[in-house]
Amino acid sequence: MSGRKNEEALKRREFLQLVLGTSAGLLLAPGQAFLRTAGRKETGLKVLVLGMDGLDTVLLDRFLQEGKLPHFQKLAASGTYRPLGSSVPPQSPVAWANFITGTNPGGHGIFDFVHRDPRTYLPVFSASESLPARHNLRLGKLNIPLSGGEIRNLRRGRAFWQILEDYDIPATVFKIPSNYPPVETRQRTFSGMGTPDLKGYYGLFNYYTNEYKTVTEEYGGGGRVHDVYVIGNRVEARIPGPNNPFQRGNPETFVDFKVFIDPVNPVAKIAYQDQEFILREKEWSGWKKIRFDFIPTQGVSGICMFYLKEVRPKFKLYVSPINIDPSDPALPLSTPESYSRELARKFGPFFTKGLPADTAALENDVLDEKEFLAQDEIVYQESMAMLEEELRNFRSGLLFYYFSNADQRQHMFFRLIDRNHPAYNEKLAAEFGQVIEQTYRQMDRALQLAMEKVDRNTVIVVMSDHGFCPFRRGFNLNTWLLRNGYHMLRPGTRPEEVSLFQATDWSRTRAYGVGLNALYLNLKGREAQGLVRPEEKEPLLRELAHKLEQVTDPLTGEKVILKAYLTSEVYSGAYLPEAPDIILGFNRNYRISWNSPLGSFPRELIEDNPQKWSGDHMTAPDLIPGVLLASRPARLEQPALEDVTAGILTLFGVKIPPEITGRPLF
Amino acid sequence: MVWWLNRAVGSLFNLIFLPFSSLNPWGAMLAISLLTALLMLFIYKKTSNQEGIRRVKNRIKANLLEIRLYQTDLRTQLGSQKELLAANLQYLLYNLKPLLVMIVPIFLILAQLNLWFASRPPAPGETFLLKARFIKTMDLERLRLDLETPEGLVAETPPVRIIDEAEVAWRLKVTGPVREPLVIQVNGERYQKIVPAGKGRLLRVSTVRVKRNLWQELLYPGERPLPADSLLKQIELRFEPQRLKLLGIGFHWLVAYFLLSIILGLALKGLFKVEI
Repeated sequence: MSGRKNEEALKRREFLQLVLGTSAGLLLAPGQAFLRTAGRKETGLKVLVLGMDGLDTVLLDRFLQEGKLPHFQKLAASGTYRPLGSSVPPQSPVAWANFITGTNPGGHGIFDFVHRDPRTYLPVFSASESLPARHNLRLGKLNIPLSGGEIRNLRRGRAFWQILEDYDIPATVFKIPSNYPPVETRQRTFSGMGTPDLKGYYGLFNYYTNEYKTVTEEYGGGGRVHDVYVIGNRVEARIPGPNNPFQRGNPETFVDFKVFIDPVNPVAKIAYQDQEFILREKEWSGWKKIRFDFIPTQGVSGICMFYLKEVRPKFKLYVSPINIDPSDPALPLSTPESYSRELARKFGPFFTKGLPADTAALENDVLDEKEFLAQDEIVYQESMAMLEEELRNFRSGLLFYYFSNADQRQHMFFRLIDRNHPAYNEKLAAEFGQVIEQTYRQMDRALQLAMEKVDRNTVIVVMSDHGFCPFRRGFNLNTWLLRNGYHMLRPGTRPEEVSLFQATDWSRTRAYGVGLNALYLNLKGREAQGLVRPEEKEPLLRELAHKLEQVTDPLTGEKVILKAYLTSEVYSGAYLPEAPDIILGFNRNYRISWNSPLGSFPRELIEDNPQKWSGDHMTAPDLIPGVLLASRPARLEQPALEDVTAGILTLFGVKIPPEITGRPLF
Repeated sequence: MVWWLNRAVGSLFNLIFLPFSSLNPWGAMLAISLLTALLMLFIYKKTSNQEGIRRVKNRIKANLLEIRLYQTDLRTQLGSQKELLAANLQYLLYNLKPLLVMIVPIFLILAQLNLWFASRPPAPGETFLLKARFIKTMDLERLRLDLETPEGLVAETPPVRIIDEAEVAWRLKVTGPVREPLVIQVNGERYQKIVPAGKGRLLRVSTVRVKRNLWQELLYPGERPLPADSLLKQIELRFEPQRLKLLGIGFHWLVAYFLLSIILGLALKGLFKVEI
């Protein structure tokens, strides 16, 4: 039975079922008819782009000055080292979409991790959309989908590798965020951040224990606790899988497994399906295949890792989110489809979930810091092995290669380098205070590998999408809107008990916040129960922006929001009408609170962030630029993400299409 | 007795597969399928009523022709259908004897092929499970148990004793070439298990050593059986299954063997004048 931190989690689960329940049907989506890989032109020049998510200029500067990053130093000395202007807001899906399309969010339609459906005011994932089969044949309890489901990549605008394809320039793009499902192309691409696990979540772990434990099943991820009993040194439990599209009501599938514990030794054998393996206490299993059957002839396969955390006195077993099996992908992972299988043949199973490190398990104390790092080290080693292989095969055109480690570890370990963080812990800081520095050193080793493997005709670019800063305090936007009369609840409602705007009186509400940086007006003609007339929009937005920029934290006296961006002023492009009305650019140390993004109204306006997720990047982009290093001198003094796109196209002699707003970097 | 039979058949297979040890396993599979086809044709010819089969096949053909010719005559149609059914039954009866005779060599061949094609030995750096299955009356918790691993093999975990399954399991890792058998010591008694290893493309891999028992010995002919009074029922190495790769598709050896044997048997029956 799953435990929960509070009542809200229940509602969230219901919401998740609504949003994600369709994912299982998508598993039957017909394969994309990709043709052979294209772009076979031998280019004299090659371009290697290492995308290192979250690499921060302040930290990079410091480590460079301390001489800890010799290969970054070498690259900086040979060409360019600049801060790289991030997106508004500087969230990864938005920022990488800027880079992919060479334009701003108005041109690609990704404004936040989470958007809202103006018909229901409910949050929806911004990156992709899952649609179940349109026609089904029902026979008793059996449901036979007569067509495949559909998964849509909601990022619009052409990707730069599609433009290169027009010129027959080959490109391999490995795990770039904001590309799930991978857009149709004959280039070799593998999807990155945004790729779900087999259940359709952004990562849902399972934790089996006979100890009382609660975890949060969060929006799109988190974990589940399964109460188990150790009887006769044996544990029997089940691993939940995707929902079954072949049964009425789409019930969850599962795989039974048994754990046999030695009566004395801290060791156990785990058995399910045709798998049998032994784990010692505190040991990871490596990848294990698992198959979920829908009906005798139909099923999907995934991969997961087991971690035997403790055998006695309490039994604790962690099972990672079930990743899509790259050797037999149930959902589209790559272009061409065979690329995924080719990688699986060479390397065996590997992480396919968009953000592989299980931050939710660390956040919920299911994994401790050491265990989390052990898992993320597997991610790093896999990435390095695959980078080496891609570099070996890199003969022409462009290679983009992505690392998630710096981003994920900074999110979780910033509290241990920031003494003023509410979650700072001296003992942990002594043990893990060097993690971020070590991660930057690992990124330096990745660069070293690249520098050693490429030839003189290769331009090396290292870039990050944004920097990082501490997340000490959280701002409850919806509480602020409520207190200032912009948002109204039905009479008799206790605001702190509301989630997903369930008690909002839309007939009197003028503004609401959904997502991590976004504020929307309840606009007539756009929202289902719109109130604000178009002529009232502009003055109301200016009023809101002005007031929000005046909010100060009574605890520190600091401004909470450095800049409230009116999207009509900072975005341009065809998708501007879909954008939020205001993007909040928080001050350093601040961010939206944990509960506000999903339509909640916590009691406190600004509250401490006591969680392990302690570093973030939702401030005004000027505060946390990304980094740009290149083996060529850059023409621009203050480049932005879109300029790198234009720069790459220019290097290959490609004419920059008009929809790209970036300026040539080189 | 069974062990000597297994040994004799095993030696024959060693001889047959000797030229193929460093070649693609499909070569060996083709060769054994061809030999099987020839053997089965021979058995069939010698044990079946060839004249009877020829007659009954002619009857079947005649009845089929009758059905086509007299499509408008219901009585003739029904009579032909009845005759056809009877002829088919007769045909099946004629096949029963040769099939019963064939089962014996086929069973022996399959058990041997399982050794050659079913599993692949782990490479250095890889791990596998060693499972010792005990007789049910053993008290595993009080057992004096020791595992001796030869050079090239290390036990990565202490034993997992599963009382109600009468099983003890270890995880072993291959660190280099393995030339000696491993030894499980149970209350002072030593039980050996060969650990197949090698670099050839076609290897004989015995993963199971069983206690003396007719049926079990026939199924797992790779090693001399454990003594009848052994405390162990079975020693098993859990190796990765192996597939025969062709054009990127992995075939189970059993599928490949039956398909090839049948195709070759049908192709050669005319040459050897065998009526099937």
